[in-house]
Amino acid sequence: MGREVSESCVESLLTEIVSQYCNHFYANKPELAARRIEAIGYQVGHQLSERYTMDRPRFSDHLEAIKFICKDFWSELFKKQIDNLKTNHKGTFVLQDSRFRWLSHMSLDPSSENSGSAQDPSTMAESKAAQATGMYLYFPCGIIRGALSNLGIPCAVSADISSLPACKLLLLNTLRCFSIEKLKLMVQTYPA
Amino acid sequence: MIVCVAVVGHQNNPVYIQSFTEADDALKLHHIVHCSLDVVDERVNNPKKSGPTLNETFLGLLYPTENYKVRFHSAYVDAVSNPFHVPGKKITSRTFAERVSNIVKSFGLSSAG
Repeated sequence: MGREVSESCVESLLTEIVSQYCNHFYANKPELAARRIEAIGYQVGHQLSERYTMDRPRFSDHLEAIKFICKDFWSELFKKQIDNLKTNHKGTFVLQDSRFRWLSHMSLDPSSENSGSAQDPSTMAESKAAQATGMYLYFPCGIIRGALSNLGIPCAVSADISSLPACKLLLLNTLRCFSIEKLKLMVQTYPA
Repeated sequence: MIVCVAVVGHQNNPVYIQSFTEADDALKLHHIVHCSLDVVDERVNNPKKSGPTLNETFLGLLYPTENYKVRFHSAYVDAVSNPFHVPGKKITSRTFAERVSNIVKSFGLSSAG
């Protein structure tokens, strides 16, 4: 499928996009930063879906298009397919990737933790992890929304990070590392 | 021979239109392109009548050769992948215009020979 890009470059770029938009362009305005990042993802998804559907016939219905996203499109982007697809047959789809590559090398900065807190440290840390990763999910959500929109399916895509698994906890004296892996995407299509 | 190449967007808006003869003026070309869209709409909206042809990416089967359609599509995908191209707006890439006219020229040569 043409030229390739190093995956670590993509991950570094994603990290830098989030950093620039959250800390510089839209400092203290996380909603605006999120919207801009999602919009970039939208354009990328729009263009990629045009390229990756070149050799294929048209999709007969929405489910076929979503299956394309889960299999071929996801494979092109993330070298694997979606692990689980659920639908309520009324326009809502849930896509689950149990090992989302773009987050697999991320860890939280442990120095920002509040050691004097009475709350159970692992749940607090888990919600912190969920908050921190939220920003990094707008770009992939935008990509999926852009791809589907180009296939004729306007929709809203959100990432469910509340059910992130209790992250792997590695205790090295006072150092703690978290790895966040499971991604759940919710795609809400609009009735025709 | 190929007289006109047009790319039409999601809202039936012309994204690219180029004629390859001196005879037709722009308005007539736009008209012809819009009329040929009716053929596309008919195929898309009447799945029972179209049958197996609905899944064919290239709905306007004017010529039997596949090669040119792939080359046009490839040029279009590259033009649209340009990060400065706004989806839905006119294609302003000179590279695209050149590739399209090269395809048209080679088509003319092969059919004449």
